[in-house]
Amino acid sequence: MTNLAYSLPERSPRIPVESPERVRHVEIVSSRSQRKARPRTIYALVTVVGLFVILMAQLLLSILLSDGAYQISALQSTQTELSRDAQTYTEQLDLLKSPQNLSARAEALGMVMSTAPAVYLRLSDGAVIGTPTAMKASDAAVIGTGGVAIANSLLPGLPAQDATASTSTGATTTGTGAPDTTTTNGSVASNAGELPSPVTH
Amino acid sequence: MRKPATTRRRLAIALLLTFAIVGVFVVRLVDIQVVRADQLNKDSFNKRAIAVTSYAARGNIVDSNGEVLAASVLRYDITASPRNVHDFDRKVDGKTVHVTVLQAAGEIAKITGEDQNTVYQALTKDPTSDFAYVAKGVDTAKLRAVRKLSIPGIWDQKHPARTYPDGAVAGNLVGFVGTDGPQVGLEKTEDSCLASTNGSSTYERGADGVRIPGSTVTTKEAVDGGTLKLTIDSDLQWFVQQAIGEQATAIGAQSATAIVVRVKDAHIMALADWPSVDPNNVDGTPVANLGSLAFRAYYEPGSTMKALSASMLIDSGLANPGTQATVPAAWTTPEGSKIHDATGHATERLTLTGVLQQSSNVGISMIGIRVPEQQRYDYMEKFGLGQETAVGFQGESARGIPPLKNWDDQKKYDMLYGQGVAVTAVQLAGAYQAIANGGVRLPLTLVEGCTKPDGTVTDLPSTTGTRVISDASSKTVVNMLESVVTGGELGPVLRIPGYRVAAKSGTAEVAGPNGVGYTRDRIVSLAGIAPAENPQYVVLVTYTKPAIMKSSAAAAPTFHKIMTQVLKYYRVPPSTTPSTSPPATW
Repeated sequence: MTNLAYSLPERSPRIPVESPERVRHVEIVSSRSQRKARPRTIYALVTVVGLFVILMAQLLLSILLSDGAYQISALQSTQTELSRDAQTYTEQLDLLKSPQNLSARAEALGMVMSTAPAVYLRLSDGAVIGTPTAMKASDAAVIGTGGVAIANSLLPGLPAQDATASTSTGATTTGTGAPDTTTTNGSVASNAGELPSPVTH
Repeated sequence: MRKPATTRRRLAIALLLTFAIVGVFVVRLVDIQVVRADQLNKDSFNKRAIAVTSYAARGNIVDSNGEVLAASVLRYDITASPRNVHDFDRKVDGKTVHVTVLQAAGEIAKITGEDQNTVYQALTKDPTSDFAYVAKGVDTAKLRAVRKLSIPGIWDQKHPARTYPDGAVAGNLVGFVGTDGPQVGLEKTEDSCLASTNGSSTYERGADGVRIPGSTVTTKEAVDGGTLKLTIDSDLQWFVQQAIGEQATAIGAQSATAIVVRVKDAHIMALADWPSVDPNNVDGTPVANLGSLAFRAYYEPGSTMKALSASMLIDSGLANPGTQATVPAAWTTPEGSKIHDATGHATERLTLTGVLQQSSNVGISMIGIRVPEQQRYDYMEKFGLGQETAVGFQGESARGIPPLKNWDDQKKYDMLYGQGVAVTAVQLAGAYQAIANGGVRLPLTLVEGCTKPDGTVTDLPSTTGTRVISDASSKTVVNMLESVVTGGELGPVLRIPGYRVAAKSGTAEVAGPNGVGYTRDRIVSLAGIAPAENPQYVVLVTYTKPAIMKSSAAAAPTFHKIMTQVLKYYRVPPSTTPSTSPPATW
């Protein structure tokens, strides 16, 4: 656009005039080179947003971490309880496996122990080596008439006094940290005097 | 335009104010971070960082099949903080119930099996204290029950303990652990294998007790103890213990031992003492019965020594199974000492085999004296008599063989039939193992090895043997001992159908309390080897001071029972040839 403002030749000497409406509104307009030199908004935007994203990610991670910590704590207490259960069962198993318990239970079932030497079956020709002898109920009790000679204070009520395997929780002995017993299952009735004959071939 | 002075003043005031505020902050910072730093650090650390002991379990003791003989378990101590114990309200079925301390004590007492007043005392004795024991060593079920009560001021802490699921089976060997650590037996001597080291670590936690992630610092790793494997078979051990227990009670013996040794590698399959301790209930056993008499107690073995004397004769070529002797019931030696047999008899014509069969003191003295004294001493040493065995069990001692200068005219004959020299039961079993193993005495082994948690196996037994007598002599002696079973007095009791068994009985006199003369007590024993044509197992049974049946007839049935079981248990094939032995008379 052509500049329509131009100065008229002066007709009279210059008298300064104050006319507010004549105060020009001046704007500094940047030239193209100046505009080019200015940094683009997009970079700042990216930086700020990036920073924001990083901070948010950090926040999220730390939230997840803390959440994980709570999960770990819960799982650890589950693990503790389960390992306590495992220990209890292992102890019970070992106790039930003990020779005193097995012999008492066998006795209560009416089983007898064979005191005769072993009889062998030779597979190559089917020969029987040794003399098979049947045990009578009176012959050889598992434990014998003397009662249990080997104590196991974890198993109270071993048949030194009575023939059936009894169950009860025993008292703890202090000082050496001896554990309690928790034998399960009721006592097994014994077939007194009667020895069931085996039907195996 | 404003006056520069006003601007400057405002600037100055602003700067001053800024500096003042910053100064306050700096002072505060210095105060916190430099002056009170240590104190604050300490305070905060206790509030946030927790030191934790990670318990490592003591190693198990297992038998040769892996059955557990001793195991580590966790028990718990119920503790209280009396300061924080008070009456409280509990919600039961929606209703609020007020529970007093006495009632709470009763609830706890019902679970732990204690007296209510004892628990109440523990809770209230010292109201300012922060720690008091309520119950010690309770198991998991009780712990959970107590926790469910939710009584304020009641806590718990871990208490590692030891349990022995098989009770007194192998109790004499395994020993036990007391409050100060292992006391007796393998628990004590093998502590370097079994002991564990607790680990320690610290972590920081938030106000609600959850670990702050990434804050755990492990200062020491927890190391579990190793597993100790024994050569003992727990089922056989039970059988043997039961057998000697029954018989010892029946004959009123003071104590009894039985040892089963595998000939080929001198592993101890069972070693029973009666009475023996139940490690779960140590307080219930007299102190004298803790440990193992088989390892500890020296006694004069009596006629079982005759087998060793015969081995010396055969090996040095100074006699053979057919060597003849005319044996009276009583004999005065050329030096003037008097020897007599256990029972009177007419003068008999016995071979060396017959001397063993009839267990004649006179006969063995007549023939045995042929061996020079120094040679006898050397043989006894090579047999391991008077020395500690390779097991190195707690309580073993080396007493040595009486030095040659102490062998007076009576003693040098007495030692041929087992009086005047003292041995332990294990030493005698070891000597018989030598005779059975072709004359090579192997180190007696009780521990098969120690397996550490990382898998390394240590404490492997040694296998270097000592040649005591020749292979041929060993076969000859075992053959001679068969005559005891085929034709001896105890033969009918000792015979095991289908097997060739060699045995030697012994009825030893017990020295008087001052070492002068002998008392009327006896130590009866029976040692045997089976199968005789290819020895696999040695069994030695001993009863100390039986009240009735003071002869080795008391030990014979037990030997028979144990040897039958051993041969059955280990599936030893029956002998294919009948038992033969050199003639006993001439």
